[in-house]
Amino acid sequence: MRPEHWLYTIPLRLRSLFHRTDADQELDEELWDHVQRKTEQYVANGMALEEARRVALLEMGGIEQTKEKCRETRRVNRIHDFVQDLRYGFRMLRRSPGFTAVAVVTLSLGIGANTAIFSIVDAVLLRTFPYPDPDQLVLIFDVPSNQPDALSGISYRDFTLCREQNRVFSEMAGNSFHDLTLTGAGEPSIVNTADVTPQIFPVLRAKPLAGRTLLPEDGKQGAAPVAVISENLWHSRFGSSPAVIGQSIALDMRPFTVVGILPASFRYPDGSPRQDVWISVAQDPLFGPRLSQPGSRVLAGIGRLKPGVSLAQAQAEMNTLGTRLAKEFPAEDAGFTIRIEPYRQFVVGDVKSPLLILLGAVGLVLLIACANIANLLLSRATSRGREIAVRIALGAGRARIVRQLLTESALLALLGGVAGVLLAACGVWSLRPFLPSQVTLINTIHVGGSVLAFALLLSLGAALAFGLAPALLATLSNLPANIQDGAERSGQRSGQHVRSFLAIVEISLAMVLLISGGLLIRSFALVTSVDSGFDSRNVTEAEISLPQFQYATPQQWTAFSNELLERLHAQPGLRDSALAAPLPMDRQGEATMTFSIVGDPPLSPGQSPTADYATVSPDYFRMMRIPLLRGRFFSEQDSPSNPKVAIISQALVRRYFPNRDPLGRQMTFGFSPNSHVSREIVGIVGDIRDVALSRKPGPMMYVPFAQAPLYGGEVVVRSPLSASSVAAGIRQAVGSIDRNLPVTDIESLNDALGQSISQERFRTFLVGSFSALALVLAAVGIFGVVSYSTSQRTHEIGIRLALGAGRREILRLILGQGMKLALFGLGIGVVAAFLLTHLMSSLLYSVSATDPVTFASVTVLLLAVALTACYIPARRATRVDPMVALRYE
Amino acid sequence: MSKPSDLVQGTLDMLLLKILALEPMHGFAVCQRLKQVSGEILQVSDGSLYPALHKLEQEGWITAKWKRSANGRRAKYYSLTRLGRRQLEKEADKWGRLSHAITHVVKLREA
Repeated sequence: MRPEHWLYTIPLRLRSLFHRTDADQELDEELWDHVQRKTEQYVANGMALEEARRVALLEMGGIEQTKEKCRETRRVNRIHDFVQDLRYGFRMLRRSPGFTAVAVVTLSLGIGANTAIFSIVDAVLLRTFPYPDPDQLVLIFDVPSNQPDALSGISYRDFTLCREQNRVFSEMAGNSFHDLTLTGAGEPSIVNTADVTPQIFPVLRAKPLAGRTLLPEDGKQGAAPVAVISENLWHSRFGSSPAVIGQSIALDMRPFTVVGILPASFRYPDGSPRQDVWISVAQDPLFGPRLSQPGSRVLAGIGRLKPGVSLAQAQAEMNTLGTRLAKEFPAEDAGFTIRIEPYRQFVVGDVKSPLLILLGAVGLVLLIACANIANLLLSRATSRGREIAVRIALGAGRARIVRQLLTESALLALLGGVAGVLLAACGVWSLRPFLPSQVTLINTIHVGGSVLAFALLLSLGAALAFGLAPALLATLSNLPANIQDGAERSGQRSGQHVRSFLAIVEISLAMVLLISGGLLIRSFALVTSVDSGFDSRNVTEAEISLPQFQYATPQQWTAFSNELLERLHAQPGLRDSALAAPLPMDRQGEATMTFSIVGDPPLSPGQSPTADYATVSPDYFRMMRIPLLRGRFFSEQDSPSNPKVAIISQALVRRYFPNRDPLGRQMTFGFSPNSHVSREIVGIVGDIRDVALSRKPGPMMYVPFAQAPLYGGEVVVRSPLSASSVAAGIRQAVGSIDRNLPVTDIESLNDALGQSISQERFRTFLVGSFSALALVLAAVGIFGVVSYSTSQRTHEIGIRLALGAGRREILRLILGQGMKLALFGLGIGVVAAFLLTHLMSSLLYSVSATDPVTFASVTVLLLAVALTACYIPARRATRVDPMVALRYE
Repeated sequence: MSKPSDLVQGTLDMLLLKILALEPMHGFAVCQRLKQVSGEILQVSDGSLYPALHKLEQEGWITAKWKRSANGRRAKYYSLTRLGRRQLEKEADKWGRLSHAITHVVKLREA
């Protein structure tokens, strides 16, 4: 039955929709025709013409109302009503440009801030990785059992065994990175090379743009060396020539054949600087030989879980394998277990909770903005009381009016939303240089589809939030009372309560935000003022990496470093220089190593002590102004042929040599293959913060560079010269030894320190700005409420003045009203803050979440601002002319 | 004029449909005819008649056409559709059962 039904009714409804005026006219005609016939009938029965017409009309019951009832039966009314509401809404907004401007600006600030933060959240937390099913990917690390956070790579042997024996991964791969010199394709240059096991391509489900990726045969020792290049490299170095497949290139002077091109959209790991070349790790000049060293943990592992396998199952399996390995190969693997980490979590990492806190903070700002606008709308709604009353009298249903008012609010909100999105886009674009590195590396933050959808939802939600209360209140007002003059005042009662309530809410929200901001600011101030343990003023650092094919032996490395330091010292202004690997706050992280103390009873595996390791030139401590507490610094005597020595930090002494003298004792540690070298402790130096300013100094052990050289390191120079002169000097010194050796990552040590707390700085800046915004909005809010209520009380104030009240009393009256609101809001805000700030205690550095100093100072600040905001309307009240006020109805 | 008895919305629809089943006519005529055939007992107020007619049209039970009547006057004539006829049968059926039940209860012998 239904389809036939539609056949009849659809044309009808469409007609109603599109030929509205025609349908209306017909209705009109029809009803008037009826009235006409009725009139004629009465006249025929003997009534007078006018009387007959009057009765006929009366019996119709009001043409307009009947028409409306007829119209209501046509359900397409809704759409037409909506369009009508929109047009009316536009007219109303245009008629009061001041109100519209204030509301739109307020909304755009609130929605814009939320959209900006959400776009970051979207890019970081909700983002998609360029690999299918990224939630199946896990990273695989070796960790000491007693220090599960000291992530380390796995050795090739362990990797192969795990890969063969596990039942949880559909495929497993390992990788490392190395900078190699590319020749044979234009100018020699350094390319970031990924040294991989061929399985990485199936793990990441990578599809080549052309040619192929690595096959399992390519991963074997002695296979023909092949390479896969990135699309970017193909464009930049090979001129996008299709003949690149099969072409021969040389990496560190070794020939490789290009077999494929990977698309530019493929990056691994997501967020690292781009890799340009992929080769089998067995072919890498540095890591290739290390593969056969069982203790050499060179590979970062990644695996794809089999479908249906949970993380817990996989971790349990890896635990079993780890125990088996430790038992089979105690020399290298005792005390280690295998730890897996979901890839997504690792990349997103510790940015999640701070971002969510930011989102919460900015949400509060929007709520405050909505409260402000609700207040504004309330004032407007009550002054439109008469218009609404007339409407109701004409037959508009209450629901219809509420719908219309809500449409107006929605219009306002959408305008604010559009402005907000624009603001957000500008804001994110201009904030990019300040974003912490973890965030920018991850993905391009752009205002895309999901962000826009979020902004739209937020706008509509805001419209509901600030529009509903005024709309409902406006229609609840007393009908006949509103049409009379002077009745507008009586409608104020309930409105005033809601307004005061909103103002109190605003202030308490602002209070919460301000306290959070204050805590973060205090925390940040403490972090930046902390003593790093070394002097970082006027210090420049630069990174040098020695290519394998030229500098293959440790002796060459040592010779190079000695030569370099000599040349640096020869330059005026660069005398205060040294070499170290790694430096504090090194971008590649710290080097954590296990060690054992010679003569101590052997500890069970998993109990080995660990410390951060650094290899340094003799002048390092002096140059960095790290104090010598006991013993001596390194010197030229500590050469490879002399007994091996080490210097330890005070924290190491405190933790592992309590009540013992460490000088003269020996410790065993080192990079494979030198992990069993015993070194005599000859000195104790002061602690430094080597990971981040916000982290307490941990135990450190230093070795002389000559006795433990590396193929690269950081040059540090303290100089009064300008940064560019220092950079030039370093380059010159390096270039005079080897013309082709690049010097990279030249920056000031202070910048590196700043980088280590870039997240904290960003957070503090953002929350601080939001708090300031919230304070302004709350001040405006309280100003608005007090101001409005004062203007409503003009009559009453006039009477008081006329009866002899002093100006000061009036002042106190108004101020008292305002401050009562403020105090309420403050009280609620303090309690709420007390309960909520512990959520952000993970972000606070040595500041308690209920720090009384912050609470007190923020309270004072808010009271002062509230007082100022109330003062202006209060002053205006004192200037009221009683005569004018009494006349005002 | 005696007060019109309370007409439940559903029965009004049924009555209108039946009147229009007799022959197509405009709203005024429907009103008159109903009064006439029911002996002045069933009267629809003008304010309820037209919304009801429009609703019936919306449901697809009647259809309307503007026609010139005999004396050259334009009026909107409603007529029953096939769907409407079926609806009328259904409603009449329901009404029959309802009135039968009520009659039965009223006619029960009191103790």
